[in-house]
Parts: sequence; structure tokens; C-alpha cells
Amino acid sequence: MAMTISESKVYSVYMSRYDVQGRLELAERIRKTVHPERGEIPLFVYSDPDVYALELERLFGQTWLFVAHLSEIPNPGSFVVRAMGEESVIVGRGDDTVVRVFLNACRHRGMKLACEDFGETNMWRCPYHGFTYGSKGDFLGTFMGAPFERAAYPRGLDRAALHLVEARTEVYKGMVFATWAKEGPSLEEFLGNVRWYLDLIIGRAEMEVVGTPERWVVPTNWRLPSENFTADAYHTATAHSFLSRLGMVQGADFGRDGYHVDPGGGHGLGVGVHFDGESYFPPELRGEYAEHLSEAQLTTLARLKNMHGNVFPNMSFLIPNFIEVEGRRVSGAMIRVWQPAGPNRTQVWSWHLVERDAPDWWKKLGRRMYTQTFSSSGMFDQDDTENWEAQTRVSDAALYRSDDFVLHYGMGLDLAPLPAGTFPGPGNVYDGKFSEAAGRTYYRVWLDHVLQEKKR
Amino acid sequence: MTVTRIDLATRVEIEDFYYREAELLDERRWEEWLDLFAPELEYFAPLRVTRKSPASDIVEELGHFDDTKASLGLRVKRLRTDVAWAEDPPSHTRRLITNLRAEPAGDGTVTVRTNMLLYRSRGDMGAFDLIVGERQDLLRRGETGDEAASADGWLIAKRRIIIDQSSLGTKNLGVLL
Repeated sequence: MAMTISESKVYSVYMSRYDVQGRLELAERIRKTVHPERGEIPLFVYSDPDVYALELERLFGQTWLFVAHLSEIPNPGSFVVRAMGEESVIVGRGDDTVVRVFLNACRHRGMKLACEDFGETNMWRCPYHGFTYGSKGDFLGTFMGAPFERAAYPRGLDRAALHLVEARTEVYKGMVFATWAKEGPSLEEFLGNVRWYLDLIIGRAEMEVVGTPERWVVPTNWRLPSENFTADAYHTATAHSFLSRLGMVQGADFGRDGYHVDPGGGHGLGVGVHFDGESYFPPELRGEYAEHLSEAQLTTLARLKNMHGNVFPNMSFLIPNFIEVEGRRVSGAMIRVWQPAGPNRTQVWSWHLVERDAPDWWKKLGRRMYTQTFSSSGMFDQDDTENWEAQTRVSDAALYRSDDFVLHYGMGLDLAPLPAGTFPGPGNVYDGKFSEAAGRTYYRVWLDHVLQEKKR
Repeated sequence: MTVTRIDLATRVEIEDFYYREAELLDERRWEEWLDLFAPELEYFAPLRVTRKSPASDIVEELGHFDDTKASLGLRVKRLRTDVAWAEDPPSHTRRLITNLRAEPAGDGTVTVRTNMLLYRSRGDMGAFDLIVGERQDLLRRGETGDEAASADGWLIAKRRIIIDQSSLGTKNLGVLL
């Protein structure tokens, strides 16, 4: 008698990617249980190793992924080492100033070329056998020089075949994205409507990364924090209720005032607004904002008290809720990448950015604000990690349940978006931040990715 | 080379100070712990990175902690609410403070470097994290006017914590260093 899908799961934890039958069964289980439009998502997809394997191939191997901000690689030869999925990549500015992204792997034996986090170089030389590459990824020769190389390879080396593996790379407002997909949408098409909102955080002025991204490892699946930034304004009132306990925010409406936005494409965000009449952003920067943003964007920024969101699949962004630090109201600009490191492990990459020409007080207090609220020690952040770890643990166990445990993703299911023109920004905009509409679209786009048979 | 040493009695006094500090943190007596800091406190834990020699592997522009006495006070107040989920139920912690190197720094102040091994265990299955690094402190004697001079007279005016990981292996820094 044939095993049921869930029975077969027990035996397929270490399923090979070539196990066609296992893949079909997994696809069938996903198809039968993931219903984004009904707000039904089964718990097992949070940490199933087979789902994760599909994601690495069909999601992280295919979509645009954020890898760096241009201010991190300012000069010809500057590079940073990042990851796309689990693969290490070099994001480098060539001696021709063009930004390129290469697989961090020597063509000879696959050794890592760059073993440090960042630096400046006019060439990458493999520490194993000395195979050497120029800043444009071109194979230059071996370390020992031509005579030695001729002795080892009397018939010569095929230099073109030894060119570094290069990802398609595009830049939006200083943000460098790369994809392994040789064809498909441009970065701007991929981002679509979310660009309008991203502009408010990284396009409002000339932005720069402060220091380097902070990194830490959390025992969670990468999707839980990504979803949280996409469509979860509701958790704030519970998970971060210390804010109201300590009188740092007023009113029971905290977390609801504003708009939930489903811009399409699996991206999602929430815009928190205040009713104070006067913008919270520093007066010193308003001139520069006006040069960078449209009238409609400026109107939105003037009312903004926070903005959280996620670019599909795993790049989150945040204008933290303005709070008072040392007597002044400050916020900032944060980018996060939830880097997958196994089905139940995520490396957090957290960038703090600031306007390059900001006044000193905004820079200094903004940095403190970031560290005290949203860094590894952040008073908000630490409580979130506790939830995501526990959810992942529960999901690990749910893998083997014969009846699927279905989660509730139905918030705002019966709500219609505001009529076009009510809110100045694009996409489906909902009044009040309490909706999971963008979270449902996230899973629709996710489903379309993981179920597609790879085009060959 | 002459090495300026502090006298033995002072050294013992400083060692006792650090053992007491570790005890206050491990027993979650955070308000008493706060009393060990001077009002002008700078409390900073820079980021570490992986670089090729001889480049510095410390990033000064951003930290895991970047605090004042007031913001540490806020963290403590938060820990005392019933909604400080990351540390409630609390971790089991044990701080080992060793390799004490103290040098006079003028005007009766002392710079003290110590090694810190912080054991942190949460939940079940015997799991634990280690947070390891060096503390670089500036100590001064408490004066009249200081809000709460510690019993043994020393106050921490500056603390810098160099954590020995480029990518932290603990899920958050809900514990104080």
C-alpha cells in the first residue's frame, strides 16, 4: 500500500534533490495545504528541510537579492563578501568602477577567493593554488607566473572558461541587488510598487552605511522574520508592550494608526502615521528630501512616525518608531537581510544607514537609537527572536503530524483596499495597519516559486 | 621598561569589585549593578569583523551596545516589567571575570582590562551560549555629588566590551555585559 504524504516525510528528511518521487510528494503536500487566499498556511512549511532545499534552488537561486549598499564599496577595488542563499559572493567595484557580483569560488578547485569580510584589492588570488582574477572577474593567470604555469599546463589554460561565475547585478537608489536568473524581470520591474515606499527610507537623501552591518545568528527559519516585517503590525502591542508599560508611547492605538500596504510581488509594508501636524524628521534635512522625493512622498514623510516592510523574499527595511533619546526625537534607516543558514538557522545582517549630510546630533542619536532598540541588544529585537525560535521548534515537530496544523493568516481577509487616490502611494492600501493582506500575497508568490518546475 | 603597578591592596579591592559586579548581574540585581556606574558613563561594545592582517578587526562606528547610564537604566526598567520576553523566564548565567590587568591612569583613576566569559543557558535540552570578550574599563573613586557611589568606592566611568565574534552566536544580547 502506498504511504501517505505525511508518512513518507519521516523517511525523506535527507531527501536528495534527485529524488523525483519525494519531490512530487512534497509538491503535492504543499499544493494541498498552502492556501494563501484563504489565509491558511500549514505549520510544517516554517522549517521543513525539504521545503528549504526547494527554496534554495527555486527562490534564492532565481529572485533578485539585496547584497550591499553602494556606500560600502566606494572606490575602484572595494569589495564586500556577502551571501545569496547559502552561497558566498563577492560584491566588488571593478577598476572600471562598475559593480559586479561573483560567486566567491575559484574556478580551479572551488576554494573561496575572499576569506575576509571586506577590503580593497585590484585582484583576487586563490590562497590554495594561486589562480588569480582581475576586478572584472577575468582570469589573469597563476601566482607562480608564466614559466611555471607553462610547465604545469604545457597546452595552455582556457582563460575564458576560467572567468568567475557572475550574477546579474543592478542598482536601485544605491542598493545593489543580484540574481542568478539569466533572464526574467529587471530589478525595477521586480520591485514594482514597493519602490515608492523604499524611496522614503533609502531614496530620501544621499544615504550611507554606518560602520559595517551587524551580524548575529538566530535559531529560526529565515521566513519568520521576513513575514513579520511584511505584514505583522499586530504583534507590536503584545511582543513590544514594554513601550506602553514604560510610558514611551501614548494611547492604545499604538501600532494601528496608519496604513497596511500590499504593493504586489510578495513585498509588503506598514506605514505608521502621527497627527502632530509637524514632521518628525530634522528640519536641517528637509531641503535635501525635497530634492529627492515627489510631492506625494514628501506629504507622506511629513506624517510618518514609522515604517516597516519587506522586499520579497528576505530583505526587510525599517524606519523605527520615533523615540526620544537624550531629549530629542530620533529615528533612522535600517535594512535587514535574513540570511538562510539551514531550515532552522538564520544569520541576521543588520545595516544602519544615515543621511550623509545629516547634522551631527541626528547621526549620533540615530546611531544610539538603532543600537538601543533594534541591534542585537535592541529592546525591541530581542523579544522577537524569542518568538521566532520557539515557532521554529514547534514547526520541526509539526513535520511529522499526520493531520496538518493549519495556521491563521486571515486578518483583514474581508477588508477592501482604500479607493484609489485616498492614499498617495501605489498598491493596495488598507486603512489601519492591522491586516495580513501582504502576508497572503507573500505566500502566493512564494508558492508560485517553490512549485514551479525549474526551467531548463 | 618600567611597568607602573597598582599596589596589592588596591588590586585586591578592584578584584572584589568585579566579583561583586558579576554576582549582581548573575543574580539579576540590576538596580544595584547600575549603582556601580558613574553618571558620565560611556558603555560601548564595538562590532568585530574578519579582516586580513594588519587591518583592524574592530569597527568603531557602530556597536552591539552604545549606551549611557540613562539608557542602561531604561533597559533595567524594561527587564523589570512582566513583558520582557527575551529574559523572562530568565537565562541561567554565570560570569567568569579573570586576567585582571590594572594600571593607574592619573588623577586617581585606574584602567582595568579583564577577560569575560559569560555562560548563558535558556530553555531545555542543555543548550547554552558563550559570550566571550575583553572588558576595558576606566574606574574612578566615587565623589560627593555622584548619585550613588558604590560601597567600596569605585565607579565605572567608561566600559568598552570587545566581543570575540564577528557574527554573534547568541540569538540576542538580552543579557548585560
